Amino acid sequence: MVDSLRARATINPMLRAASLFLLAVWTLSPLVYLIVLSFSYNWHAPALLPPSWTTEQWRQFVSSASAQREALFTSVALAALTAVFACLFALPFGRLIAKSTGWSRRLAAAMAFAPVAVPPIALATGLHFALLTFGLAGHFGGVLLAHIIPAVGYLTLFFLGAFSAYDVRIEEEARTLGATRFVVWQRVTLPLLRAPIADALALGFLISWAQVPLTLLIGGGLVRTLPLDLFAAVRAGDDARAASAALLLIVPALIAIAGVRAAVRRTGVVGL
Amino acid sequence: MKHSPRALAVGAVLVLPVIVGFAYALLGATDVFGGFGQPAGAARLQRVLSEPAVWRGTVWALWVATMSTTLAAVLAVALSLAYAGTSRTDRLARALMNVPLAFPHIVAATVGLLILGQSGMLARMFMFSGVIASAAQMPELVADRFGIGVILTLVWKEAPFLLLINAAILGGHGAGYKEVARTHGASRWQVLQRVTWPLLWRGLSPALVAVAAFSFGSYETMVLLAPSNPLALPLLTAERYVDPALAGRNDAFVLALLGIVIGLIAVALHENIRARVDDTSHA
Repeated sequence: MVDSLRARATINPMLRAASLFLLAVWTLSPLVYLIVLSFSYNWHAPALLPPSWTTEQWRQFVSSASAQREALFTSVALAALTAVFACLFALPFGRLIAKSTGWSRRLAAAMAFAPVAVPPIALATGLHFALLTFGLAGHFGGVLLAHIIPAVGYLTLFFLGAFSAYDVRIEEEARTLGATRFVVWQRVTLPLLRAPIADALALGFLISWAQVPLTLLIGGGLVRTLPLDLFAAVRAGDDARAASAALLLIVPALIAIAGVRAAVRRTGVVGL
Repeated sequence: MKHSPRALAVGAVLVLPVIVGFAYALLGATDVFGGFGQPAGAARLQRVLSEPAVWRGTVWALWVATMSTTLAAVLAVALSLAYAGTSRTDRLARALMNVPLAFPHIVAATVGLLILGQSGMLARMFMFSGVIASAAQMPELVADRFGIGVILTLVWKEAPFLLLINAAILGGHGAGYKEVARTHGASRWQVLQRVTWPLLWRGLSPALVAVAAFSFGSYETMVLLAPSNPLALPLLTAERYVDPALAGRNDAFVLALLGIVIGLIAVALHENIRARVDDTSHA
């Protein structure tokens, strides 16, 4: 009995170390590979390692005429605006749904989930015609509107979760003690919601940041974001350019990851 | 239970874009507009929905969504049971699993293509170590009939998200329940069977439907990694929509309708499961 326990105690750490190593390879190798690829020169099969190294790809990105840099700016602008607008709508929406109970709460939550769950390409196909009618297709504004649609649905569900754990009585108490609505908002609501709002902004940013089919169809190729630049590079077989675009897409997400972790946990809806 | 018209009004605003998209797709699918001389009616709907390619593409996308979600769930559950503690190894393992969360799907698919492809890194490593003699001997993992490349990429991407949900379930009330069961004399195996597993399963099931719905419509993963035969529904929709023969473009609206309907079925399933889970956890 004691022997078998001792055997288990020595095998277990080894097993765990081995599986931790496998886990590290599984999760980190794509990142390492992209970094190496972005500095490689003329790296083709069957070469296991790059024959030579270069900073050419990154210098090109920094140069003023870089299409990739333009795409980065477009993506940042789209994602930031999507995050702000989606939050502006989703916060009061989530709060209103959280106040309701029973079937109307469930139905409202399901309706919020619909724009998130419907395949984006199907939604884009239907909406493209509608946006064409209003002259918005092929423009930044149209793409922004399209990105906001799933973002508002997702963030509403996020705020629904946040407000379900929120005690409205604190606000009521402040009101009873003579605070105006504005003061309550400024001194009670906002400080309590600071963390969820930051998470929601990060999530909203990432929803737009990673978006492909809505940009492709509604933008009609005229609004070129970083994911579309990556897509074009992969299609053209320009691996180094694809690697730099991919890394540029990962970096802001890595920064936001701490916030997003908490946010995803609270929402529990869709893997970003 | 009182019903709340304000919550329903908010829901209506949120679902409006889907309704508008559905309405326009319906008008296009029935040739009310853009039919290029085709009389309005259900003829196009009937023709497109009886094409075998449409159903093969739909079933293929459903297969990929089901397989990738199942495998991601198995991996996430295994990891959350293996690394649930507070030791350094456990925390390091959980931190490592956060990395894929930072990859947008298009980036994950790009890496999938460059690693799993016929002349990708995996094939090169196999050649270098003598497992295979030439790239041609490498089994097809990209654009293959079974969608192995798409499935692997989606598992890599979605397992960390499911792991987060597991951690929330087991870290919340879960930790307390486990302790109570242990104090009452339950063995480790009994705790796993009677406490941990039911908690995980109930908490995870709505997320599984959401992940499957998302994977089903993951255009950017499929466009880089999926085969052209059968052509997955999202790809088929996009292909028909940019058809150079303008009269054929309205076919895409039929496919968009199909996609939206499948998405809405997922929404109904998701809410149904979540409602049941909520009811049992309050009981």
